Amino acid sequence: MKLEVKDIHKSFSEKEILKGISFSVESGKALGLLGRNGAGKTTTIRTIMDVFHANSGEILVDGKKFDPRKIQIGYLPEERGLYPKRKVMDQMVYLARLRGVSKKKAIDNAKKWLERLEVIQHQNVLLETLSKGNQQKVQLASTLVCEPEIVILDEPFSGLDPVNSQILQDVVKELIADGKIVIFSSHQMSYVEEFCEDIVMINAGEVVLDGNLLEIKKEYGKNQLIVSAIDKDVDTLSQMLETQFSNMVAVTGSTKTEVIVKLVDGVTRMDFFKGLSDVDGLVIERFETYKPSLNDIFVAKVGEEA
Amino acid sequence: MKQLWTVFEFELMNFVKAKSFVITTILVAVLLGGATFLPRFIDLSDMLGIESTKKDSDKDDKEQQDEEKEAKKIAIYDESGYFEDLTVLTETFSQAEEEATFEKKDSEADLKKAVENEEVDAGFYVVDDLHYYYYVVNNSFADSNAMVFEQLLSMIHKQAYCAEQGIDFVSFAEGYDAPVEGEVQVLGKDMENSFWYCYALVIVVFMIIVLYGTMIATSVTSEKSNRAIEVLVTSVNADCLLFGKVFAGAVAAIVQVGVIMASALIGYSVNHTYWGDKLDMLLNIPGSVLLTFAVFGIGGFLFYAFLYGAMGALVSKTEDINKTAGSLQMVIMVVYFVVLAQLQNVDGTIMKVCSYLPISSYSAMFVRIGMGKVSMVEVVISAIILYASIFFAGWIGARIYRMGTLRYGNPIKIGKALKELKNVE
Repeated sequence: MKLEVKDIHKSFSEKEILKGISFSVESGKALGLLGRNGAGKTTTIRTIMDVFHANSGEILVDGKKFDPRKIQIGYLPEERGLYPKRKVMDQMVYLARLRGVSKKKAIDNAKKWLERLEVIQHQNVLLETLSKGNQQKVQLASTLVCEPEIVILDEPFSGLDPVNSQILQDVVKELIADGKIVIFSSHQMSYVEEFCEDIVMINAGEVVLDGNLLEIKKEYGKNQLIVSAIDKDVDTLSQMLETQFSNMVAVTGSTKTEVIVKLVDGVTRMDFFKGLSDVDGLVIERFETYKPSLNDIFVAKVGEEA
Repeated sequence: MKQLWTVFEFELMNFVKAKSFVITTILVAVLLGGATFLPRFIDLSDMLGIESTKKDSDKDDKEQQDEEKEAKKIAIYDESGYFEDLTVLTETFSQAEEEATFEKKDSEADLKKAVENEEVDAGFYVVDDLHYYYYVVNNSFADSNAMVFEQLLSMIHKQAYCAEQGIDFVSFAEGYDAPVEGEVQVLGKDMENSFWYCYALVIVVFMIIVLYGTMIATSVTSEKSNRAIEVLVTSVNADCLLFGKVFAGAVAAIVQVGVIMASALIGYSVNHTYWGDKLDMLLNIPGSVLLTFAVFGIGGFLFYAFLYGAMGALVSKTEDINKTAGSLQMVIMVVYFVVLAQLQNVDGTIMKVCSYLPISSYSAMFVRIGMGKVSMVEVVISAIILYASIFFAGWIGARIYRMGTLRYGNPIKIGKALKELKNVE
């Protein structure tokens, strides 16, 4: 199954919120939707889910017009909410049946997911009596109760404690392994890095970066190296590189223990390494290709656009 | 259709599983049904104006109680000279079941003073056989002294007039006051009987609309305030959600009112002889009237319920519901008062117009059927207009519901909502 979002535009009261969003995702893969607050992630998701109608553009599944009510979709909205005064099982069965699942199957599915999320003991209590964390688990179980082919999670990790985050991570990995399409938005880059093969970075309603995460990282790390030396702190090493090796590299950043440099055009890493080894008293500790984190790319890209 | 049924089932359970629903239904049904058995155990003959249906021993008790009732003290200052002998007054009041003792006063001032000092309960100052004054400290609705006295004085006047004219009073009274016997043969509708149950049913349908309409609006708003609505509208279309909710409300209302009315009607039909058939005007409702009540009552309920649902979607907090539903409530109130005010003139122009408008036909047409002259064609046309309007209200209600889905914050004005509807699709 392939879900394609093609050139979606959406305006509210003359203000254009989405300015031609496009991406695609296939079964067994997860797509991370990234962006700052107000970038348009939730509007994109709501447009896919037909909560908002797009002004133009199209959404296709396997080349046909996509109707979220006719395909099994698990949707976890940003604004969480169920019925506080109804029993957990009753509302899960209701939501599954609304998506066309038989009552018996709905009960079985509800039990399965409540068990998987370790809240089966609360199946017959009112939702409002549960802790916030358990309510979130019930919400996630309700999202998955219809055995969806496509799972769309809007900020799924927000408000979860580390233990519940781990459970959710495991569930998402299982969904991907089961061949589902998973789309989720998040500010927490570590989660996106963990699951997503592909990312779409949105800023001010436009896609500013998209593609395979590994390739994006490779592209961003191209000609960049990390260097550290024994008995030299980052500032001293940075200063030395800027003064003595400005013809070979440019310092582009640093971490707590390493300096990040970019090779000047025409200079090879071997040239640079030889140069460093000629410096008296400099003992190289690390010298390797720089692999930027998604967070680095995000800050660089969105900061750049902003 | 399957989804509509799922929504209906879920929402119906919301209504009927609520403790307040169960307790209210059972309690009111038991109280009303139980009340119809009261005359079997308690003598209500006084209240109903019928002969007691209670056992003789109970009757004796009542007589004893009457005897024990303290007689009123009434003073009289008579300038006319007709009441030299006070026994005529005592007997007249006794016959009217107003036990009283009388004492004479020498002047109007004495009479007033005695009444003011509460030495006596009341006083009469008789000027002549056509003029008198009644003195009492606090006049009450139940005080029939003046009426009894006036009848007596009138009788005295007639006797005096007859004596003056040389007419034999006894033969005059026999001829003049001869009882007229007549029997009403109702060929159309007996308004005397139908008035009260029509009146009651108009109130019942008004209460159902306001009560359940508000519950439906609250249910919609709750889904917005607890944020469940986003999951719902992405799972099923808004038509199913609103129609399911409204139909569930209608069934809950029918069940509740049906149980309560059945309890009262069955209880009364079992006990009507003990009531001396005095509640026939209220509880002996013909089947045809109940049927039209059902058709137009349910129709009116559905029409308003959809609009209530839409009003609920325009706000995000349940405490704001009155801000949008208030105007709808106002329309319902106006219709209610107009129909009640026109109950004496059911075939007038106002009722004719009201019986075709979907906002008012639920009560106006029903009342015309129950009490007035209306042809079957008119009934059918009114029903068609009403039911077509229900679907229109449902259609527009569902669109407002869908449009209001993610509109949080201040209540949306109805006019603005209608303008924005075109953007929903």
